[in-house]
Amino acid sequence: MVTGLSYLCIGIGVVFWLWGTLPLLGDRSVLFKLHPLSVSDTLGSMSIVFGLLLKIPREWPLLILALLSLALWNTMLSYVMAYCVSREDSDDH
Amino acid sequence: MNLLLIAMTLILLIPLYEAWQDDDIWQKMLAFASVASKTSIMILCISVLRDDWMIGVVGVIILSVGNAGFMLLAHLIKRITLQ
Amino acid sequence: MITNLPEDLYLLVIVALLPLSAIMLTVQVNPYNALVIRGILGAVAALVYSVLGAADVALTEALVGTLLAITLYAVAVRSSLVMRVGVLTAEVEADPEKFEAIYDQIRAMLSTRYLRLKVLSYETRADLDAALTVKELHGLCLRSPSPQPDQPPYELTIRLRSLHDLLSTELPHQTPPLTHLIPPSSTDTPAKSS
Repeated sequence: MVTGLSYLCIGIGVVFWLWGTLPLLGDRSVLFKLHPLSVSDTLGSMSIVFGLLLKIPREWPLLILALLSLALWNTMLSYVMAYCVSREDSDDH
Repeated sequence: MNLLLIAMTLILLIPLYEAWQDDDIWQKMLAFASVASKTSIMILCISVLRDDWMIGVVGVIILSVGNAGFMLLAHLIKRITLQ
Repeated sequence: MITNLPEDLYLLVIVALLPLSAIMLTVQVNPYNALVIRGILGAVAALVYSVLGAADVALTEALVGTLLAITLYAVAVRSSLVMRVGVLTAEVEADPEKFEAIYDQIRAMLSTRYLRLKVLSYETRADLDAALTVKELHGLCLRSPSPQPDQPPYELTIRLRSLHDLLSTELPHQTPPLTHLIPPSSTDTPAKSS
């Protein structure tokens, strides 16, 4: 039961990854690609880590740390990236 | 788990291809951010698969420190391209 | 479920990423793009090392190989790939638009080799010559002392032979040429310093 749930979480995470990464291939602006990448990549990664947490609850401090650093860093990263890009070509979009 | 890891590796090929074919530096940086977070999550997956605590610690450190380094690099490149 | 799959197939797939990203790095021409690809190579290498069980090597690769190396490399690329040109303050103030056009033309010529242009202005001609002698500058951009009717009124003196060769191949593509090139004097050896 728990094993199935953890595989389900990891599978959902992989689908989120695919969904967030596929827009990278298009010929759109950086900000357009940044949005799906930051949102669904972070959600997918968190879902994968949650699945791993269900699989081996013994390693919880490590995986909780991974979840926290994912949530904090990736959000901050997307803001920094958007700031850097928008300062460069503010007349482009 | 084997199949899931192979699926993750195949997804990892998408940003790699994007970094190779796009000449804009910010598109490459975006692909780099994607690759960096994906590889560290894959390291975590492998640590759970093998039940190896040491690899897991390395994965978490790469996840947090790698992101910090990425921000540093983004600011440096912004300074360079703005001149 | 597929049962005849080898148990360590994922190992082979992941390890195959390393030569792929290494080839990607070696075919890059632009140094800034190579910098970013080096970061990707570092991330993939850390993944491969930890898959193969070398957690300490993976940590070192991520911290030193990716973080420290690309930061130092960015600083090195930024400070070395630059051409410093000296101008006189009085001449620039007399005709700023003309000088902006000249800078744009030099930037366009340098951009084929991913060089940047840095303009330094000096008060007197003596300061300018002194800066060129101590190799603070790579070139001077001045109004010609004896303008020829068939030549542009500004001259670009280049100290380095290699830089002069690069600019002289690119200058005919710029229309109309705003400057003409003065080659380095023969006593000046082709210095490598930048």
